[in-house]
This record gives sequence, structure tokens and C-alpha cells, in this order.
Amino acid sequence: MLWYKAWLDTRWRFVIPLVVLIVNVWGLILEYPPVGGVLHSLQVQPDALIRSGALGRAILESIDAERTYRGYIWYQWFRNNLSQLAILFAVLLASGNLLSGGAGTLFTLSLPRSRTAWLTTRAILGLAQSLILALVPSMAIVVLSPAIGQQYALTDAMVHAVCAFIVSAMFFGLAFLLSTIYADMWRPLLMAGGVAIVISVIESQLAVNGPFRVMSASSYFSDGAIPWLGLVLSAVITAALLYGAALNVARHDF
Amino acid sequence: MADPSAVDVVDLRKTYGEVEALRGLTLQVPRGSICGFLGRNGAGKTTTIKVLLGMTRPSSGAARVFGLAADHAGDSVRIRQRTGFVSEEKDLYDVMTVDQIVRFTARFYPGWQKDLEEQYLRTFELSRDRKVGDLSRGTRTKLALLLAFSRGADLLILDEPTSGLDPAATEEVLQALVSHVARREVTVFLSSHHLNQIEQVADRVVIIDRGQAVVAGGLEDLRDSYRRVQLVFDAAAPDVTPRASGIVSTERRGRVLTMLCRSGVEEVLAELRPLAAASVDVMPVSLKEIFLESVNGDH
Repeated sequence: MLWYKAWLDTRWRFVIPLVVLIVNVWGLILEYPPVGGVLHSLQVQPDALIRSGALGRAILESIDAERTYRGYIWYQWFRNNLSQLAILFAVLLASGNLLSGGAGTLFTLSLPRSRTAWLTTRAILGLAQSLILALVPSMAIVVLSPAIGQQYALTDAMVHAVCAFIVSAMFFGLAFLLSTIYADMWRPLLMAGGVAIVISVIESQLAVNGPFRVMSASSYFSDGAIPWLGLVLSAVITAALLYGAALNVARHDF
Repeated sequence: MADPSAVDVVDLRKTYGEVEALRGLTLQVPRGSICGFLGRNGAGKTTTIKVLLGMTRPSSGAARVFGLAADHAGDSVRIRQRTGFVSEEKDLYDVMTVDQIVRFTARFYPGWQKDLEEQYLRTFELSRDRKVGDLSRGTRTKLALLLAFSRGADLLILDEPTSGLDPAATEEVLQALVSHVARREVTVFLSSHHLNQIEQVADRVVIIDRGQAVVAGGLEDLRDSYRRVQLVFDAAAPDVTPRASGIVSTERRGRVLTMLCRSGVEEVLAELRPLAAASVDVMPVSLKEIFLESVNGDH
């Protein structure tokens, strides 16, 4: 029953993003033939782009990466779209009233289950939904690519999707913790989203290794190295944030 | 041996920042009784109920339900397993239908009484496919009562169950409560500030004021022990302060001297006899008078 309630509270925040992501993936796949053709015929001057600054370097990185189908999918989907949307949807799933999903908090608390049980159920379901949101559209790439005469490796899709999930889970944990502090849905959503934006700006401006590089598994794309340290660190931070949320709810007066 | 009290609260205190919601509340609710929990708005009724159900942690003191500690996480779950609760706001899941919330709640209680569920659905004219969020306040209250009654609870905690209801709906709710209690052994802890409703259904009363119990006991015992003594004089009533222990309040108005006595009326009358009043009347007191005297004085 706890699962049923958690599902009722989050189903639209899960189903709609899932559809959005699959449509997004399908659009990217269909765009590849014309985009790939343009990229192949493009004459670039790497030195000029590098000299022009951060934007030029980003354009060069994009063109270099997208010369192959694997690179195109990694850059457009795993590095850009999925990185941003997985965080947005994870934060959305974790925001709001975690005990009742809206009205009915006292009714929830009057039922013979502990607060920890309610919260754990909601956290596990939310994380499972986040995993599906990262995994299913990425698997769809493997399935749909032959439609345009391309192939995409299942292993690549799995590794990138799981990396995206593990880092997005950290932002899920942050929004989850914030939802135990603020009663409304919007403050946790905006604050966790804001933190993600700040991190992404710092990461891109300073060209440092941060959560977004771990999320897109750029090291795996370029030389096959899974970013274990970043993944473990993300998982530890997620666990700490969820534990903080549980402590906060346990001591909360309703 | 089983604890004779369904609810046992001792020196319970709860502070929210600077505000003392409960200031050493002590009360007992015997098993099988219908206990009216009376107090003004903000007296601490809802806070007490939330402590009993583990929704709020006490700052100090003890609250036990069926001998189980309300502030212990494990015990609190066991307390809620045996308790039906209706909140003042009739806080339910708006997104569910009546049927969904009934089936949802039933799964938490092995002793769920399907026959009562069916009966109250008919009695309260609740349509299974209506959305909870679309129900009127009265119908919502009836649904909340159905969910509390059908779980086979040993204790019903009802926080202002009739608030916001019209007189007809209020009567219907109270009748449902009385017939439910008549049918099975259940303790009821009924919070309200509607004295007539408490008089209608309760056999015990606890009056709370500013976080403390100021009156507690059987309703009949209270009615029997409280008396209003009224003395009428030929001239202005004398300005006296009787020393008898049972006097709760004294009021002097023109030729009339009135005293509310909690006990020992004979002692009071003996002390007042030398004043040679023209007439002396000893009158019974309503719960409303006891309540007003209890919550208007200084404690």
C-alpha cells in the first residue's frame, strides 16, 4: 500500500518525462542523417577555434565528437539532453510533500506505519523512476538506431545511462532533503535546480572535472574509463542527503 | 494485568519556540469511556492529540496509550494500529476516489470490518466513485468517520469532528458515533469546544485551559458536585470572601451574591448563615457554566 500511494503521488511526474525523453531520443536519431552529412562536409580550422576562447573550444569539441554516430549520440544525448533533463526530472520526482503528496499528511501519519517506512518507500520508488528515466530512452537508442541504418552498442548505452542516473540521484537526494524542510513543492525544486545550474556553470567555465563530466561519462566515451571515483562520491553524497532527510522527518513536529 | 486507562498522560509539556502549548497536562481516559476533551481554541487539544498519535514529540512528561509510550517510534505504530483518528481538517487524500481510499486504508488493518464499511457507505450515502477532493465538508467528515470506525479500533480519537458542519449533519455524525460505541467496546476521546455535543455523548469530561487540565471527571459526578449558591439580601449584598474550600468563584451584583461551589455546599451555607440573607437558593450547574468558570479564571 505504501508503494501504491507513492506511485499515485508521482506517476504523472514519471510518465510524462518518460514520454518526453523517448520522443526526444527519437527526434535526435531521425536528425542524424542530415546533421551527420553537414558535419562530414564541414571544413574547420581548429587553431582559430581554440584561439577564439571557451565557445570556440566547445564548438570544436562538438564537431570532433559528432563526426561519428557514437559521438553524435554521446554529445547530443548523454552529454547535453539527458544530463540536463535527468537532473530536472529527478528533482521534480523528489520535490513536494513526501508523506502525502499533497493533502492528507495527518491521515498518513495516523496510519500504522513509521515515518521512515513512508519516506524509504518514496525514496526507493523515486530513485527507481529516475533510473528508468535514464535507462529506457537510452535503450531506445539501441533499438531505434537500425531504423536509420546505424548501430549503437548496448554496453555504451548502459554505462552512460547508469552514470547519468547515479549523478542525477545526488540532485534527487538534495531535493528530497529540501522537501523535508519546506512544505511546498517549488522551493526544493528551484533550489536543487539552482544548485545544478551553478555547478554546471562552474564546471564549464573552469573546465574542471565535476558531476556533469561524471554524468556524461566523458572519460568512458574518449578512452573507455568508467569514472568510478565520481560515481562512488555521488552515491555517498546521495546516501548522506537521504539519511539527512530521514533524520529531519523523524524529528519533525506535524 | 491490562492498564485500566486507554490514555494516560502525566505532566505533559510541549513548547513551540517561545509558545508553551502544553504546560504539565495530566489526564486519564478509562477504557470503554467516551471522554469529552473540552477547551477553547488554542488551549492545547490538538497538540495533545498529536502527541498521543506520535505526530508531535513532547518536550517532557509522559503520554501512554494502552500502556504504550506515544513518543517511542515502535510503540507509536502499535498505538496507531489500534486507533481510529479523525482530524479537525478531515485531512484525506483528495486525488483518490472514495472506493480507493477505503480499500487503501483497509489494507493497513487486519481487523478491518467489511460489514461496517458497507453499512456506513449506505448510511452516509457515500458513492464509491466520487473523488475525495470533490466531497462537501459534511460528506468528507462522514468518510473520515467511516475510515475510523471500520478499522476495528479500540480507541477513537476525534478532533473536532463536527467543525464546519450544519446542525443536521452534526446530529447525524453524533448519532453515528453513539450507535457505533453502543455496538462495540471502544474508548472515545472526543475533542470539541461545543459543550452541548459533549453533554450529548460523553460520560467523562476533561477541560483543558492554557495547556493544563483544569477539570476532569465523570460528567454526572461533575454535575452532582458543582452547585451554584445564590443569596438575595434586602439591601446591597455584603462584600464577603468566604473561606470554605469548595468555592470556585464569587460574584456580587446589587442585592445578589452568587457563588459557584465545586464541593462542600453545606460548609459554604454554614459559613454564610450569619449574613442573614432574605433567600438562599442552591441550584444545579450546567456543563457550560463549569466550563466557563474553569477557563475564565486564573490558573
